[in-house]
Amino acid sequence: MTAPLAPIDETITIDQLHLDPYPIYRRLRAEAPVLRVKAVGRTFLTKAADAKYVKDTPALFSSDDPRTPMKPAFQAHTLMRKDGPEHLAERMAMAPALMPKTIETVWAPLYRQFASDYMDRLPTDGIVDLHRDLAGPIAARILAHILGIPEASDEDMQEWSEALIHGAGNFGWRPEPFERSDRANAEMNALLDRAIERVRAEPDASALSVMVNAADPIPLSQIVANIKIAIGGGINEPRDALSTIVYGLLTNPDQLEEVRARGAWGTAFEEGIRWVAPIQASSRRALEDVEIRGCLIPRGDTVMTIQASGNRDEELYEDGETFHVFRPRNNHLSFGSGPHHCAGSHVARRTVGKILLEMLFTRFPAMSLPDPSAVQWRGFGFRGPINLPVRLT
Amino acid sequence: MPHVTYVAADGTRTTLDAAEGASVMETAVRNDVGGIIGECGGAMMCATCHCYVDDAWTARTGPRKDGEMDLLDCAASPVTDASRLSCQIRMTQDLDGLVVHLPEAQV
Repeated sequence: MTAPLAPIDETITIDQLHLDPYPIYRRLRAEAPVLRVKAVGRTFLTKAADAKYVKDTPALFSSDDPRTPMKPAFQAHTLMRKDGPEHLAERMAMAPALMPKTIETVWAPLYRQFASDYMDRLPTDGIVDLHRDLAGPIAARILAHILGIPEASDEDMQEWSEALIHGAGNFGWRPEPFERSDRANAEMNALLDRAIERVRAEPDASALSVMVNAADPIPLSQIVANIKIAIGGGINEPRDALSTIVYGLLTNPDQLEEVRARGAWGTAFEEGIRWVAPIQASSRRALEDVEIRGCLIPRGDTVMTIQASGNRDEELYEDGETFHVFRPRNNHLSFGSGPHHCAGSHVARRTVGKILLEMLFTRFPAMSLPDPSAVQWRGFGFRGPINLPVRLT
Repeated sequence: MPHVTYVAADGTRTTLDAAEGASVMETAVRNDVGGIIGECGGAMMCATCHCYVDDAWTARTGPRKDGEMDLLDCAASPVTDASRLSCQIRMTQDLDGLVVHLPEAQV
């Protein structure tokens, strides 16, 4: 006997998910943890165990999506959407630049300097939008250097990243997002041509240099695609993580005091990205008929693992809806799991967790958020505050 | 069921029954042993399940798997000859009594 298909929902809208998905996810975890959501055209998996199972089982759930708008957006088939040895080879080509040892010795001293410079230039009176004026630009600067394209400006990096993300999420296949990503690709290609020559002549520890100068390098087209995927996927996550954690700490002064006293910035980082995962959902395509919680996922169907929901799963967390730095356990899914586990996790933990948070709260000990209700949160695929109006002194 | 003992960096010992075939990482994570995260679920992608195999056991746990050293390079704590990714050690009757030491930090 075959299991029935998952129930179908025709009421949830993309707008609702974009504005505030959490009440919906809470309901789905209780009522319909496997659900075909018509507006998104995917089967939502809102329980942590199911999200983890899918990501840990690449033999059944492929990352390869033949119809993804990522292809035109990146003008390439990228490692994010590959499986097996092909994915591994491209990923490992970049890995040395992202290792803790390289981060500690090469990047951390540089990043401390950038963070200090960027905090210096913040106005100390009136209201400052910390999201726009610090989180975005510093995330762009950090990424430009680790990737090996320091000549790219913060503005360029942020525009390219957004252009790639909008193109990659252009499931309506409208022309404008691809026109924007095409422009970004042209600019990135021109800059990368020059940067590749530079790292050939003067090798350094950056991802570009490590890939270009490898003994057995991956093809140049894949090197370029790897850099682009890192631009598309390496700015908004640390940016949104930083803003989310700062919001969490400023709205919970007792927790902030304890974090300060214990120096527990890393723990605050983990809780912030559990509470509002910067990457909320991921897609995987079923390679065979699979049953999840009594529902048939037919071969070829695309499931969405909703880690944003899994991170608040009542089975794992008491009061998961609230920001609570010192909760007893925190095995969040924000960096994913399985072969596509976030390659930037070490960088994120070491820069946002260990450098930026501590420096920010040390330098501005009286920082406050005068009106928490002014902070706006947005996003279904990626999520975070879109503004963070603080007073620094 | 084979037993495995985890010795935390502060000396705390935890001994567990492992399901045969389960990895040393999975056994720790399922039983909430602190000191092993295993964030990527055993895909050799995160280097957060680093352990040091006790000297008495290194012969039986065998050599590192293909690709394991690449990830150990990404470990947060110092890597020694005894270093393994605990997701790559599968529990068998032959490993009954295995002792692994855990590093100071996994991230």
